[in-house]
Amino acid sequence: MSTEHKITTQKVNFKVFRFNADEDYLPYYENYDMEVTSEEVVLDILNRIKWDHDGSFSYRRSCRHGICGACAIKVNGRATLACKESMNDMVDLFGNELVIEPLSIKRAVKDMVIDKADFWEKHAAVTPYLVAEIDENPTSENLVSPEDADKLDEADLCIQCGACHYACPAVEVNEDFFGPAAFAAAYRFSADVRDNSESRLADVNEEKQGVWDCVKCFECAEACPKDINPIGKITKLHQMAFQEGIAKNNVAVRHAVGFEKSIKKNGVLDEGGLVLYSEGPAIVKHLPVAFKMFTKGKIVPPWGITKSENLDEIQKLVKSSSTVKF
Amino acid sequence: MSIPIYTYDAVIVGAGLAGCAAARELQNAGKKVAVITKLHPLRSHSGAAQGGINAAFSDEDSVELHEFDTVKGSDYLADQDAVEFMCKNAPETIRWAERMGAAFSRKPDGKIAQRPFGGQSSPRACFAKDRTGLTLLQTVYEQAYRVGVKFWDEWYAADIIYKDGKVSGVVAFNIRDMQIAIFNAKTVMFATGGYARAYKINSNAHANTGDGLSIVARHGLPLEDMEFVQFHPSGLSGNGVLISEAARGEGGRLYNSKGERFMEKYAPNALELASRDVVARAILNEIREGRGVGPRKDAVYLDVTHLGKDLIMNKLPELRELAMTFLGLDMIKEPILISATAHYSMGGIPVDIDGHARKNNEEFIEGFYAAGECSCVSVHGANRLGANSVLEALLFGRFVGKTMVKDVDNIELREATIDDAQRAQEEIDFLLNNNGNETVPELREELQQCMTANAGAFRSKETLQIAVDTVKELRKRFKNVRLKDKSKVFNTELQEALEFGHMLDYSLFIVESAIAREESRGAHYREDFEKRDDEKFLKHTMAYMDEDGNISLDYMDVVLGKHELKERNY
Repeated sequence: MSTEHKITTQKVNFKVFRFNADEDYLPYYENYDMEVTSEEVVLDILNRIKWDHDGSFSYRRSCRHGICGACAIKVNGRATLACKESMNDMVDLFGNELVIEPLSIKRAVKDMVIDKADFWEKHAAVTPYLVAEIDENPTSENLVSPEDADKLDEADLCIQCGACHYACPAVEVNEDFFGPAAFAAAYRFSADVRDNSESRLADVNEEKQGVWDCVKCFECAEACPKDINPIGKITKLHQMAFQEGIAKNNVAVRHAVGFEKSIKKNGVLDEGGLVLYSEGPAIVKHLPVAFKMFTKGKIVPPWGITKSENLDEIQKLVKSSSTVKF
Repeated sequence: MSIPIYTYDAVIVGAGLAGCAAARELQNAGKKVAVITKLHPLRSHSGAAQGGINAAFSDEDSVELHEFDTVKGSDYLADQDAVEFMCKNAPETIRWAERMGAAFSRKPDGKIAQRPFGGQSSPRACFAKDRTGLTLLQTVYEQAYRVGVKFWDEWYAADIIYKDGKVSGVVAFNIRDMQIAIFNAKTVMFATGGYARAYKINSNAHANTGDGLSIVARHGLPLEDMEFVQFHPSGLSGNGVLISEAARGEGGRLYNSKGERFMEKYAPNALELASRDVVARAILNEIREGRGVGPRKDAVYLDVTHLGKDLIMNKLPELRELAMTFLGLDMIKEPILISATAHYSMGGIPVDIDGHARKNNEEFIEGFYAAGECSCVSVHGANRLGANSVLEALLFGRFVGKTMVKDVDNIELREATIDDAQRAQEEIDFLLNNNGNETVPELREELQQCMTANAGAFRSKETLQIAVDTVKELRKRFKNVRLKDKSKVFNTELQEALEFGHMLDYSLFIVESAIAREESRGAHYREDFEKRDDEKFLKHTMAYMDEDGNISLDYMDVVLGKHELKERNY
């Protein structure tokens, strides 16, 4: 029996974001050159900066094996959980020049430490607990089949590190938007057969704050260090909303439904038709843009849409999978 | 900066399983309760527990067997009344956690699934894949939050207010801006976790610096059985990060460099599932006799390849990830490198079954309670069984919360004054202003290296004397420390210095208690006294520190019961 396990070292330059909200007017970057071993993770580097170079360097950390969620930061702009990211992988991905920054520079308090108040407020807004009468002295457990237990789809593994939340462009521009981590939490409880909440699913369906304002860019899935795939949970919340009859006939939902309508009709996406369906008469505000796009050949007019050759196959698929009721 | 005084019925320090469970009981009973934690509650180390939580509720199992395994595992040092209480209430506690939302793995019939663990007669560890602690911590925190418990997160508890045999509050500061506040309360509970960070190779979170123990000890109050530190058999080579006992529970095997399944020598019946102290010493013995593997020859192989991809992905997915991240090894395809790692603290703040903290063998401290790893009830005695720690934290945390509900109306609030913050303020001022030439990282490295080398899984009078001398020397040198960071924003350098001061103090308790215990029992293995000595040492150590930092020792009787003393074989 044997295992191939060699320790290698390489030189890496770290450009590290520094800021103290009490003392610094502007942030700055400090350079550190280090020999890095193949056994090290990013958190080891943060520790070495603090312990060997500058005691004032600050960051959050605790468990050091990827389960407490304290140490999420960005390396070369990519969200990472510092204690779970091997230095070898970082160098393979980005080379020997690495930029270490907090998850959200505009929320920086000190070095890697950010103010996560908005993150926790959004988390609190989705009723993040099982809504059930708690039997304080139970003599048996709820019976939950393995299939029902699997419906949580790993959403219960979310460690609230915030990596997806601060990678989400919708969070960046819409301060009401709950964000992918909060939606994963909403899904975790709404998918639980033991849960009886009557408000959670409706809350995450409201315009501006809810799941319909997700722009489906998949940044959250990329950022998640636990492979929870928050956008997958957002999609499941969409489906639940239709199944439960909670989805409202508003612009955000119609934007999603419009895709279905267009595909059902043509087998391909009619972008102009989609906007017309979701916005209704409000479409007039988009006319100048639409005209410009049309002159540049970016959109096809509704009468120019060619139908898919396999339209009947596609329509069968849409019929069997759609849950929408309007 | 002026110092505000907040008034509560109950203040709890620590927001892991024990702290959150107690807080929920108090809040539900209409008491005004605050939880102070230096992290966010969901970062607490309870969440790192991987393998399981014990309860005897299968048809083949019984509460009595659970008791027996726990007492035998403890090498008969556990107090049997506390063990009986825990084992009897375990099934209800786990089902209560399930009712609150814990996402346990399930059997085909929908009941909570259970797996085998070391030192146990029956598969008894209820589990949620290999992240049992995470779902329990989330659940208890969520339901405490749901009923309205007030959490003060990222506040550092620096001192207790203790006078005339009574605790009446906590002095803490906000890590974000260094604002000190006094939390004046009728009752105070410590749920501050364990102390294995004193060792170089350990499985613990950075936060597990045992602050609570030293805060208590500095007031001349006792710490119990501090010499008993559990070394877990399977930490990843090099950094000690834990690979749960679940890996062996599911069928993992250990091999040395000669390809021998060496546990056949040390525990012919239980093999890899003997109790943790036995397996850890076997591994370390193989390594020191030259049969280690890996680039430093400081590990043995843990092999689960024969279990197959499906089982590993279904039941041990987090463990596989850990070995890939830290060693670059995929346990589906190849064996991984593990060795013993300092893991769990059996000793702590002495308490009775109801959680009342002891002032000495006979008296209790008014208004002061402890539960979880920082406490010593003692249900683990000289060695804890796997999957009994989360059980202890959740179960006793909850019941101590109930005790506090009962007690609080009969306790008078002793009103705090600003002067009560003076000790904490002086400690902080000293660290910020002292202009010496020592640094915390260097001193801490020396302490941790010394503890691993001299007060580890194998000890003797000779090595422990080195440890005593080193700790005393480091305590002197710490007075000559200098910090670079003088700012008031997230001064984590100051926090690490405060934590290191605590590590130094309780480390002296570990080594002084260990040197006096001239026997081998459970996790405390003396190479110069290899046998258990019930005549002299079937006793709990009670250690006290005076103002000059000298330790004095006393002993307290073990509560025996129906499980009679026997030699321990696996």
